[in-house]
Amino acid sequence: MKNQFDYIIVGGGVAAATVAKGLLEHKHDTSILILEAGPEIIAKDRRFWWDYITKGERPYTFTYDQKFEADSTGNIDYQTEGVRVKAYGGSTMHWGAWSLRFRPEDFNLFTNTGEGADWPINYEELETYYNDAEAFLSVCGDDSANWVPRSKPYPVPPFEWTAADGEMIKAWEQLDVVYQDGDINPGKSSKIKSGKMPVARYRKCMTTGTCKYCPIGGRFNAQYVLDDLKNDTRFINFEVRTNAPVHQVNTSSKSKIESVTYTDNLNGKEHTITGSTVILASGAYNVPKLLRASKNEFWKDGIGNDHDLVGRFVVSHSMLNVVGKAQSNPNGWFQEYDFPTLMSHSYNTKEHQKKGKIFMFKNRTTPNVDIAQLMIDGKTREEIDEIVYGEMTINIQAFLEEKGKHGNRLEARPGKDRFGLPQTTVHFSRTEKEMKNANDRLKLLEQIIEKMGLEVISSRVDKPGGHHTTGTARMGTSPENSVTDKFMKVHDTDNLYVCSNAAFPTGSAVNPTLTLTAMAFRLVNHFINK
Amino acid sequence: MNKELTCVGGPVCNEKLSAGLIFAEGQNLTHQNKEALWEIFEAIGRNWSNTIYNSNNQRSSWYEMLKAKTENAPNYTGEYVNAIYVINELKAIYGIGGAYKKLFFESGIDNSAPPTNRLAHCKIYVVNEFIRMQITAGGFKSWGTKYGGEQAKNYHGFLGGTRYNRVSKVRAYDPDATNLKADQE
Ligand SMILES: Cc1cc2nc3c(=O)[nH]c(=O)nc-3n(C[C@H](O)[C@H](O)[C@H](O)COP(=O)(O)OP(=O)(O)OC[C@H]3O[C@@H](n4cnc5c(N)ncnc54)[C@H](O)[C@@H]3O)c2cc1C
Ligand code: SF4
Repeated sequence: MKNQFDYIIVGGGVAAATVAKGLLEHKHDTSILILEAGPEIIAKDRRFWWDYITKGERPYTFTYDQKFEADSTGNIDYQTEGVRVKAYGGSTMHWGAWSLRFRPEDFNLFTNTGEGADWPINYEELETYYNDAEAFLSVCGDDSANWVPRSKPYPVPPFEWTAADGEMIKAWEQLDVVYQDGDINPGKSSKIKSGKMPVARYRKCMTTGTCKYCPIGGRFNAQYVLDDLKNDTRFINFEVRTNAPVHQVNTSSKSKIESVTYTDNLNGKEHTITGSTVILASGAYNVPKLLRASKNEFWKDGIGNDHDLVGRFVVSHSMLNVVGKAQSNPNGWFQEYDFPTLMSHSYNTKEHQKKGKIFMFKNRTTPNVDIAQLMIDGKTREEIDEIVYGEMTINIQAFLEEKGKHGNRLEARPGKDRFGLPQTTVHFSRTEKEMKNANDRLKLLEQIIEKMGLEVISSRVDKPGGHHTTGTARMGTSPENSVTDKFMKVHDTDNLYVCSNAAFPTGSAVNPTLTLTAMAFRLVNHFINK
Repeated sequence: MNKELTCVGGPVCNEKLSAGLIFAEGQNLTHQNKEALWEIFEAIGRNWSNTIYNSNNQRSSWYEMLKAKTENAPNYTGEYVNAIYVINELKAIYGIGGAYKKLFFESGIDNSAPPTNRLAHCKIYVVNEFIRMQITAGGFKSWGTKYGGEQAKNYHGFLGGTRYNRVSKVRAYDPDATNLKADQE
């Protein structure tokens, strides 16, 4: 078995797939080893798909963190259980594929608000890499919507709004943006604007609504990219090893990373592999845990942790969720897709940054009636007709931007999970002011639901969690304020990189993966130019 | 545990079984078995009038599911054969139409509890899964027209095939002249 490579990549998700593809396309014989802790779970398998359709079972859920493998402390419960896929392809096995750019102000949060952090790069520096990322993920988006500056059109046209989106679009037309206390320019008002949700589609959709296990490989999944790379005869030195959790990064001096050590979960044997460059693409949970676990004579508290910053500043999005009810649904509306088609960035702007931006969208599954379940429950045709055209609920939701705080930290706790990775604990609290701001934003969503003529039947802030965790090994300008430099290289090392949401200094109000993919393209370019 | 209603069916339906899938590794369905199972599938369409065309159009999809569920582990052959026994007994007691009415609407089976007799196995592993499959494969299409609205175009999982790409997948919002696109900043 080969034990020396040009690049070792820890983790087999979209970050790893993007970097590997970029490096291999530049130089076909580059030797790259990807070490993935989880197993390979086949995508596009007909039996798995039928089991999903008929029983609601998905083949990868056993890899999720279980309750006994993760917990949290602080005044808010941080959800890790049931969130991340630990397998070949990573969480893109089940992600929603919503693919949004961060906005220019997201890179200057501290400058603009005095809270959180700034990125060591700005939007303009990342813009062309966003184009690359959109082409790579095959993002279907609306060119006429200029929410953020862009130099190239989307590679694929957008998904249309569904009929069920219509009432919310009309409500938005009637409602002005309400500037609340804490927003910049209170008193100013402008319309809420509607947009089409950009989503990543590897192949043209042939169906709707089973995107959590797509039968045709429509929704982007890093697994498809890795399969393509493995099957490409030009890339003779590319290898992926699954069931291979890395538990140590080894150094030969303070700055020189020499190797990584992993266990082969199938036979319990340990292997040490040397690499000229090591890239941690193991996600925002496992990058900080691996860095801190890698203690040696040069790094007493773990690599990159001389200033005790690794794992700190953890942020995620809390979901604001307001549910409205109508007495009837005469049009038989139904959100046929398994993703939202309607969104708005009207509160995702610099003016709202101080208080906390929100990114609004109509929920991905409402309105909806599970006709099959009603039949299973023995309801007759007539009874089901009544229900289909009867009471209807529609949710409006929003991601709430959070700001990184020193005291909020993700770390390992004693014990291993079922894949040989350290278990997790997240210390996470919100201030009173943040709680109040979240509730203020909720009021806006309630107004929209009321404008639609619906009765608000539930209004809540859902807990933050592992879905969009960022910030745990953040980039910055010096070891005193960050873990990595502007190329995501761990400070004071020559050849250890992080390619993960972990490196994001801010989490914005939108999903992170398009930005992660853009950062991965930028990293590839950095390697090529070196 | 399932609180079975022992009043439905006879000794076959009410025979106790453990809740797990009936063991059948290495076994196959015969042609006759498949025809008997197809009768259940068609009865679903008839009882809910939920296909706007003959269930035959769904036959190839249904057959593909049967193949996937019997040629890969865990093997459903034992469940399918059990369902045939159950139906045969119900038909003997209630007649053809009555048998399906009992099974679909009056079985008394708790669909969320583990099945612990033959009738419950038939309902949960076969009937309920056939219902989901039928709706996914096009059985939703008869809903959506009651108030003269546009016909339902889709249901989660509906795979339209290549021809389908020429038709819109969902009922799309049709914005009026003040299309919001123009407003965007
Ligand atoms: C339910 C859900 C829905 C989401 N939807 C969206 C969305 O719509 N849009 C969006 O932008 N983002 C979405 N996300 C977030 C998105 O999934 C992540 O941003 C993305 O998958 C991160 O990719 P990654 O490659 O950095 O990490 P991951 O996908 O987490 O992959 C990392 C891999 O590394 C492995 N690993 C970890 N530690 C080790 C180790 N020590 N040794 C070896 N291997 C290791 C893990 O097993 C894992 O497979 C969603 C997330 C969830 C959970
Ligand atoms: S809509 Fe259908 S084809 Fe498209 S990604 Fe989802 S499941 Fe796949």
